[in-house]
This record gives sequence, C-alpha cells and structure tokens, in this order.
Amino acid sequence: MAVSYEHKLLYRHEGPLDMENLPYIVQTMDRLLHSEGLRPPFRRKVVTTLIELAQNIIRYGAPDEVRPPLLSLARSEKGFVLTAKNLVHYSQEIFLRSYLTNLMEMSRDDLEKLYNATLTEGNMSEKGGAGLGLVQVIFKADEFSYELTPADEQYSWFTVKASFSPTV
Amino acid sequence: MSDLFLSENLYIEPTFTTPEIRFEPSKQYFFIGGNSYPENSLKFYTPVLEWMRHFVEKHSPLPDHPIVLEVRLEYFNTSTAKVLLDLFRLFETLQEKGQPVRIRWVYLAEDTEMEDAGLDYQVAVKVPFELVPLNE
Repeated sequence: MAVSYEHKLLYRHEGPLDMENLPYIVQTMDRLLHSEGLRPPFRRKVVTTLIELAQNIIRYGAPDEVRPPLLSLARSEKGFVLTAKNLVHYSQEIFLRSYLTNLMEMSRDDLEKLYNATLTEGNMSEKGGAGLGLVQVIFKADEFSYELTPADEQYSWFTVKASFSPTV
Repeated sequence: MSDLFLSENLYIEPTFTTPEIRFEPSKQYFFIGGNSYPENSLKFYTPVLEWMRHFVEKHSPLPDHPIVLEVRLEYFNTSTAKVLLDLFRLFETLQEKGQPVRIRWVYLAEDTEMEDAGLDYQVAVKVPFELVPLNE
C-alpha cells in the first residue's frame, strides 16, 4: 500500500511565542529535518524561514493569550510545508495584502534585486526588522501562499504557508 | 570611549540567539561566530558597530599586518544580514585608511546556501573577501 505523506504533521507549536522559546523551536525543527536525512542547505532554507516568520509574529503579531500563534512543519508529497498562523489587527490587513500581492507577482530576479537593494540601502525599523524577512521567505520557498480570514471584529487570522522541495 | 580601549578586546559571550563576538586588536583578529537571530539586531549590534567606528577612527594603520575578520555563522536572520553589511563597510573604511583587511566567510562546504550568502557579500563589499568552505 502506498504511503501518503499528505499533511503528515512532524512538529506543531501552538502557544505563546517569544525569544525565550524560539531557540527551542528552532533546535527541535533543525533536529527533525536532520533526522529526516535533509542536508544543510535545505535545512537552512526551512529553518531560516521559520526564524523570519516567527520573528514577524513576535514583532508584529497581536498578543492574545486565548488565541496564541501556531507554527507547524508537515511532510507533503513534494517535501515539507511550514505554516505560521497568528492574529493581526485588522488595520494591518490592507498593508499585508498589498505588500504580499506585490511580492508574489515579482519574478525571482526582481525579488533578488529588491532584497539586495533593501540590504544595502534600506533602514532598520525601531523593532529591529530590516524589511527583508518576507522577501527572503518568498524567494527561498518553492511555493508560498497566505490567507487573511476574519477572527472577530478587530482581528484577523494571518496564515502563511511556505513549501520546500528537497532536490537531493 | 577612551583611547585606552584600543588595547582592549571586545568580547560578547554567545547565547542561543546571539553570536560570540571577539575583536582582538592586539592580534589583528576579529571573530563573529554562532547563531545570530536576536529579536532586535540593531539593538544587539549597535555597541559592536560603535566599538568598531571608534576603532576605525583611532587606529593607526599597520601596512604589513592585515586585520582579519572571521565570520563563522550558523543560523542568522535577515536583520543580521543587514547589520553585517554595515560592519563590513567599516572594514572598507579601515582599508581606505591604509590598513590592509581581509574578511573570511567560513561555512560547511556542502552548505550552498551559506556559500551563496558569502558570494553576495563578496560582490557587495570592496575588501578582500575569502570564502572558506570546511569539510567536516
């Protein structure tokens, strides 16, 4: 019988997310990928994406003890899917939709140019972001998608999925 | 900062999310190694950049003794990538003052992602930038 790897969950963190527990999540996911036989460049793509998505949640996500963020890693038929889900204030929705739509329409060459231009000429935000995280995530992922769905009158769920296919 | 600091090393202990930083002017050897994904890279690296700016300002060039910066990172975030470029720019300034410098980007040989990151810096900075693959 053929084994289906569709949505085989390897790791799930649903709960408070901060700089205290992020290193544990990073190490756990790195070890999991290592145990799956993945080589360093592939692990680096997935783990650095995890770091960027998690730190976006820590910096910009809406804190809510009852509805905490979610990070997960699943095996799919093509490879691995990293999911990050968190609440955002509805005022951030318009920006996120416009920003991500714009990035997703760019070619790889244009994404690379944007990354390099932001790296060399951009400014850091007060929260320590460089404006490069999502650019890198979309550039590195083999597939990228996002969803914004209403959670209540003030907040929406922001869900990002980044898929990676090992080449070896 | 007093001039006395020029004879002093800069040392920052590593944590799970921040690298070891060891700048040793007396040995002409500067080192950054480990993970670098602080929540606020600007806040973490500002004292390092300040130390480096002061060093660049006060340093008397030693033309026969290049200063080596060795970068041996594990996981690092994009804001670290940006701050690293700022640091490399200060090495450019040091070189413009007549001090030979060399940056060594050390990575696992099979880690092509790290190699690519090094190649991007090699193009972006105007100092000798050596890619050093390690075979473990």
